[in-house]
Amino acid sequence: MRHFTPAERTILRLAQDQLPDSLTPYADMARQAGVSEQEVISLLQSLVDEGVIRRFGASIKHQNAGWNHNVMVAWRIDDDAARDAAGTTMAEHPHVSHCYWRPAQADWPYTLFTMVHGRSPEELQRVVQELSETTGQRDFGLLHSIKELKKTSMVYFQE
Amino acid sequence: MDDVDKRLLDIIQTAFPLTPRPYLTLGEALGLTEAEALARVRRLKALKVIRRLGANFQSRALGFRSTLCAAKVPPAQLEDFIARVNALPGTTHNYLRQHDYNVWFTLIGPSWEDVCRTLDELSAATGLQILNLPAKKLFKIRVDFRMQEE
Repeated sequence: MRHFTPAERTILRLAQDQLPDSLTPYADMARQAGVSEQEVISLLQSLVDEGVIRRFGASIKHQNAGWNHNVMVAWRIDDDAARDAAGTTMAEHPHVSHCYWRPAQADWPYTLFTMVHGRSPEELQRVVQELSETTGQRDFGLLHSIKELKKTSMVYFQE
Repeated sequence: MDDVDKRLLDIIQTAFPLTPRPYLTLGEALGLTEAEALARVRRLKALKVIRRLGANFQSRALGFRSTLCAAKVPPAQLEDFIARVNALPGTTHNYLRQHDYNVWFTLIGPSWEDVCRTLDELSAATGLQILNLPAKKLFKIRVDFRMQEE
């Protein structure tokens, strides 16, 4: 795992929050960290290239951008190979944002999780049906969200 | 939101320019001046379409561990349980869902032991069993959504 210098940690603490609201955000961050603008840009670019930064950009509130319906679908697929095949297929669907294999528990037999997004309830229903038909998987539970209780970004770097 | 906003969002959701003058770079891609590009981003933030502009880390690459959790919380306990879960710094998402398992949240911690200890403490404090479902395999994570019609 990569270790960071104090100056790098300052840069990353700033980058995990909002970028400075100016025409030169990296120069602003560089001033705070006591390094050059190029060092800020190089660090961020290298972490993007290494995949340590999964995405550098805007996080969107889907509800305010027209994508205001979502449902978590949990699929019961007991066979490892069948689950793998279904997961790979479902992941290709553009309306699926997340697709994970998670372990079964005593009273929870569902092991494949998909987050499905749409612009209407009808679209959600259509996508879930497509996922079911293209994979031949019929045993699933729909977990509609009633209320968003918390949504935030993790603070990895503390002051 | 007009078409330029949608094109702008499609670009900066995936990759905000890592250049000394990012709004100049963005403007060039969209046929806008630097000042116009910044003004549009500011407006989308004010409208709360953009929630945050910055880095999204892969928690595992930083040594952190995450899991999806769920609990069957009786109505009388719901307010207290939600307050406890939301107060945890490692809770990044929490949803009330239409199911017997009605509260679903994601928990991130600096180690797997830390995550499990946090859940044990939550169980002990509330008397509720909590499903702990760490990912065994990731097929997809893509949080950006095309704004322009497919």
